Amino acid sequence: MQKFKTKLLNFCLPALLPVSLLLIWQIASQFNLISTKFFPAPSTIIKTVYTLVQGKELFKNVTISLYRATLGLGIGASLGILLGLLTGLSHRANQLLDSTIQMIRNIPHLALLPLVIAWFGVGETSKIFLVAVGVFFPLYANTVHGIQSVDPELIEMGHVYQLSRWQLFTDIIFPSALPAILVGLRYALGIMWTTLIVAETIASDSGIGYMAMNAREFMQMDVILVSILIYALLGKISDLIAKFFENEANHWQINE
Amino acid sequence: MAKTHWFKKLAVALFCSIWLIGAAFGYHYLYGNQTAEAKTVITIGYQKGDIFQIAKLDGGLEKALEKENYTVKWHEFVDGSALQEALKTGSIDFGRTGNTPPVIAQSSGAQIVYAAAGYSKYQGSAILIPKNSTVKSVKALKGQKIAVAKGTSAHYFLIRALKKAGLTLNDVDVQYLDAGAARIAFEKGAVAAWVTWDPYTASAQTDIGAQILTTAEGYTTDRDFILSTKSFTTANPDVTKLVVSQTNKALKRANQNKSQLIKNLAKALKMDQATITLMVNRRTYGLESISTEILKEQQSIADTFYDLKLIKKKVDVQSAKIEN
Repeated sequence: MQKFKTKLLNFCLPALLPVSLLLIWQIASQFNLISTKFFPAPSTIIKTVYTLVQGKELFKNVTISLYRATLGLGIGASLGILLGLLTGLSHRANQLLDSTIQMIRNIPHLALLPLVIAWFGVGETSKIFLVAVGVFFPLYANTVHGIQSVDPELIEMGHVYQLSRWQLFTDIIFPSALPAILVGLRYALGIMWTTLIVAETIASDSGIGYMAMNAREFMQMDVILVSILIYALLGKISDLIAKFFENEANHWQINE
Repeated sequence: MAKTHWFKKLAVALFCSIWLIGAAFGYHYLYGNQTAEAKTVITIGYQKGDIFQIAKLDGGLEKALEKENYTVKWHEFVDGSALQEALKTGSIDFGRTGNTPPVIAQSSGAQIVYAAAGYSKYQGSAILIPKNSTVKSVKALKGQKIAVAKGTSAHYFLIRALKKAGLTLNDVDVQYLDAGAARIAFEKGAVAAWVTWDPYTASAQTDIGAQILTTAEGYTTDRDFILSTKSFTTANPDVTKLVVSQTNKALKRANQNKSQLIKNLAKALKMDQATITLMVNRRTYGLESISTEILKEQQSIADTFYDLKLIKKKVDVQSAKIEN
């Protein structure tokens, strides 16, 4: 009985705050305590989601955003990890590349938006480029850190066992660095979404950001809130997926 | 413990597959409808509810261009400034803006040309005041906050209206806000007036009972302009002529069947019919060639903006005329 009570509490307590807030919000809207113009009731928002889903607009915009995010992530993450591995493993490469990359890293990538539009126009290239740039740096930095934090005693052990350089990498160095790389991935996922939101509100005619911007021009607060909820949901899901892989990687982690 | 683990793995695998399938759908929506043959693409930039959008809904322009082996791509912009940036970088080949963005574009060195002029639309452009406002004249706006989008036809309209009332921009508190932000400020009462154009004017009138203090009548002809770049029009004079004549035909058709136009626009803009009816009925659509009169007004816009130091270089609109 005790165990059931604790389990129940564990489940209910985190949900208590958001659920009560939602209830207060709904009641306040029904009794017109807050302006329904600027704060649509939760019931209105659910209705809006239903209408949007019916109109197929939602599906189209969400999948388009998904495509851009995935492609940008794929490009930026692969480049980030590859270059991170290179500079982490090779001292010469580190001398050649690292300071330049760190310099560029300090530029807030969103500030590049007008430049990117001037270079690549208003099409897909600018958005995907910006996402890739945003995603690149956390993965690069974390990969380098992961490689450089490998326990030197483990490397020594590898030498003792006369592992080849490739074996040393695949059996010791990479698995040790993997958790750090995945932390970088989780961070990069957040950046991926925020970059996409910004890129989609400027010079775009599709995507979730465009949907929100479009709604803003005509005071459709409910649509704006739905867009925000979708971003929150997508962000949460991507975070959960990354967390899962991080836990998996931790199982592989060499324990002392 | 093992059971939970198995469940988690399945959930993640499921989410990942849905994610990737979704991304694939997105790819399809973006690139799916491309024909195998590499036709030349003409990109046209438009704004909400404008003459290009009407031509787009009409379909005649696209058909005529298809016959000449061109595919048309449309791109929506939030206002003239964003559109003119895209025109400058060559992202679009044609664009429609009000009377002020081309002047601004020229002053920044862009090789913009006027391809055609639209009929006046001053009845849809107005200085709006809130429903319960006691303001009776432009003069009464002295010292008050006025919202307007920078570098647009509304900006020029405001300057002219203030001048007629014996005021300058310095006599009022100008808030440069784009249509979305201005609407919010206006609704919340943060500004005493909002200078804007249709569909935003009509939307504010029907949605929140905004009143018109004055329309642009008498202050500016408030024309639309179809713009392109010097390089594009010199290289493609036939396409330019085609785009202009076909757009004009579509607009003439729209004039003759306004009830159908209202239905189509309301659906495309996802706005209610009352607003669109208001917008469409106070306007006659059409294009005409650039006359000396029209260039004169454009020059006076350029000079006004230069005198007020709103643009940095002096502009000679004559150089933006297409050589026939």
